[in-house]
Amino acid sequence: MTKQKKKPKIYDYFKETEDPYAGGVAWCPGCTLELTARFVPKVLGNDIILVGCPCCAAPVLYGQNLGTWHRLSYFSSLMTGVASSATGISRYYRKIGRDATVVCFTGDGCSADVGFQPLSGAAERNERIIYITYDNEGYMNTGYQRSSTTPMGASTSTTPAGTISHGKPTPAKNVPLLMAMQGAAYAATATLSHLDDFARKLTKARQKIKEGFVYIHVFSPCVMGWRIEADMSIQVCRMAVRTNYFPLWEAENGRFRLTHEVSSPKPVQEYLRLIRKFSHLKETEINEFQQMVDRKYAVIKRLCVTE
Amino acid sequence: MIAQKGKKMVITGNATAAYGAMLCRPDVATSYPITPMSEVAEQLSAFRANGLMETEMVEVEGENSAMNVVAGASMAGGRTFTATSSWGLSFMYDAVQHAAGFRAPIVMVIANREAPGILAVSGGQQDIISVRDAGWIQIIVEEGQEILDTIIMAYRLAEDYDIQLPVMVNYDGFYLSYMATAIEIPEQTDVDHFLATLKEQPKRQVLEPGVALGCGTHGIEKGFVELRYRQCVAMERAAAKLDEIDREFGELFGRSYGGQIEEYRIDDADIVVVASGGVAGTAKVAVDTKREQGIKVGLIKLRLFRPFPRQRLVEALNGKKAIGVIDRSVGFGWDCGPMAMELRALTPEIGIVPILSYIDGLANLDITIPHIERAIDEVQSAALGKSYQEVTWIPLEE
Amino acid sequence: MVHNDKFMFPYEGAWSDGREKLLCLDTGSWRVNRPVLDKEKCNYCSLCALYCPPQCLKDMGDHYAPDLDYCKGCGICARECPRGAISMMPEGEFADDSAKR
Repeated sequence: MTKQKKKPKIYDYFKETEDPYAGGVAWCPGCTLELTARFVPKVLGNDIILVGCPCCAAPVLYGQNLGTWHRLSYFSSLMTGVASSATGISRYYRKIGRDATVVCFTGDGCSADVGFQPLSGAAERNERIIYITYDNEGYMNTGYQRSSTTPMGASTSTTPAGTISHGKPTPAKNVPLLMAMQGAAYAATATLSHLDDFARKLTKARQKIKEGFVYIHVFSPCVMGWRIEADMSIQVCRMAVRTNYFPLWEAENGRFRLTHEVSSPKPVQEYLRLIRKFSHLKETEINEFQQMVDRKYAVIKRLCVTE
Repeated sequence: MIAQKGKKMVITGNATAAYGAMLCRPDVATSYPITPMSEVAEQLSAFRANGLMETEMVEVEGENSAMNVVAGASMAGGRTFTATSSWGLSFMYDAVQHAAGFRAPIVMVIANREAPGILAVSGGQQDIISVRDAGWIQIIVEEGQEILDTIIMAYRLAEDYDIQLPVMVNYDGFYLSYMATAIEIPEQTDVDHFLATLKEQPKRQVLEPGVALGCGTHGIEKGFVELRYRQCVAMERAAAKLDEIDREFGELFGRSYGGQIEEYRIDDADIVVVASGGVAGTAKVAVDTKREQGIKVGLIKLRLFRPFPRQRLVEALNGKKAIGVIDRSVGFGWDCGPMAMELRALTPEIGIVPILSYIDGLANLDITIPHIERAIDEVQSAALGKSYQEVTWIPLEE
Repeated sequence: MVHNDKFMFPYEGAWSDGREKLLCLDTGSWRVNRPVLDKEKCNYCSLCALYCPPQCLKDMGDHYAPDLDYCKGCGICARECPRGAISMMPEGEFADDSAKR
């Protein structure tokens, strides 16, 4: 068998070859956050300043006394202060004329909930920062509680399915869409099954930050919280895209575009059955879920320009 | 070198604060408007809009963000300024503590106002009492010129290599914030000269892109204890440092304020009134009147509230026969004013003397000369061994 | 009074410093199943390495090999390999070379 010598195209997007993280860090086996965290500096570079807060990433991004798990410059903010701390850092560098890329890296609990106000404020002020959300649809670090990106019907530790409860009663907040609607220079969705797409979007982010606020929302399944097998997390990402549950799109200065259009989407049931947080859903609820997915997709589809 | 005579202007306390900030050339400034300090934000924005300062102004969407912006900018290496009041201070509380733990040398002015709980768009000092354990240096000033001069001194204190702590400069909301008085605006070159000392010291640790330094590491076990200890030690150092800076400021600009405390007719006094902020001015008049009547009373204006000026107070209060403390706030759970409570903690050093707590000036109520004269009479009576009431809510007894 | 030479942090404030060495966990010991490559099936497409969350698959020139010091045994490489060249084998079967892990 002749082996392919040339590396795939995705390697062209990589700026860095050295992984800034220690080999062994405290993320669960199969964690998509770990892949996201290690992937982002590959494309953005190791000279970024990372701003984060207490979340699943914190046990690795934060130091422990003098020790640290990575070689990135890091600022540990509060859940309420990530986008605003990043604003302060980026404005100071602007003041002294220093070129530095400030990257916020938080879970959905920060960006969609308690840190939403400063995120929205930074987007409105068009701050030159890149904000990356790894969306694991809940407060996974504190024990799998619901957040406002938890989808309707999901059983979490604060919306457990029970004899009278069918999981979370309301659908998820669409943060990337809100950011795009706020006029972000660049807003996009990405996930780990489609790494070329993700890498291209990060590369784009590096350019667009010169114009203003950049937001990337990364769909990142949580093995523990969603109750999936460790080796299935990339499959779950892929199925989320193939069912249009998580469409991949970008909005550049308000111009929407689907970056990976699915020609014949699979029924969302194929996605739901992979994840045990949905295992209690009955047929009618699955139908409702399908309608919700269709509605949300229709909105994005209508916003997108036909090429 | 003696500073040039600055231009005099009749401006409000808020505008004075903005001039003070501008003269210190902050790299990043931000604030979210709130009564009674909104004018600080407006004035700074006007300076920026007219090219009078090169500061990056961030018009944030809330006070919590204001504090986080300056915390980030400060730890990146910038000089920062912000302003707030009351509800705003409460809303930024997590970030206020965070900034102190980071050892971010932020300077923030606060136009003091009643804190949330009972709606009051009016002055009081409850807001600073609610953050007294947040790890910030807290200075309270009496009048307009002192606002400006103290802001300049506050940068010297905050950014001192041995201190590296954030500083709050407090002035009475509504009274001082809106009152226009004649203020001497120092020349920029003189302020630059006064702050230049900061460039000669070792550089504090700041964020560096591409360098593996993490700001805000987890303090684990003894590491945590060390960080807390060093925060406390730096806070302790700030007390004497403020005296030094105040003296140096006086030598250069011809104005000084006593550093940690201002002592007024203390030396031969038998009894002492302790007050802070604008009420100290009123108290000086009352002290003079009572002196004419033969009561040997003096005044201590508490300028530094955190760190508590323990040493200076002990020296000034030693041998005094009774003390009256005027608080514009309450100390929940102690049935007395918070500053009175802290004065009581000096008992091992100054001995057991009557300490009378007066709660007055809440919700903008005027602390009048008769109020203070009454307090002086009662303190004098207590000094003579007569029975006294420990706590007096003056407005409720009028 | 505590003396400065007792301090752990070289400067004021809570800073971690990764300029010299990094903290590292023995995540290899978490592994229950180990990825084993059938080199015959492998076409060196690199998907396994790209998807590996701890990024511990090393480029060997014609295939990728897991760094067993860090591989947590999640099995994503095996699941994602389009040619089914990687299989997850129980760690117990490698008891003999446990020194090498």
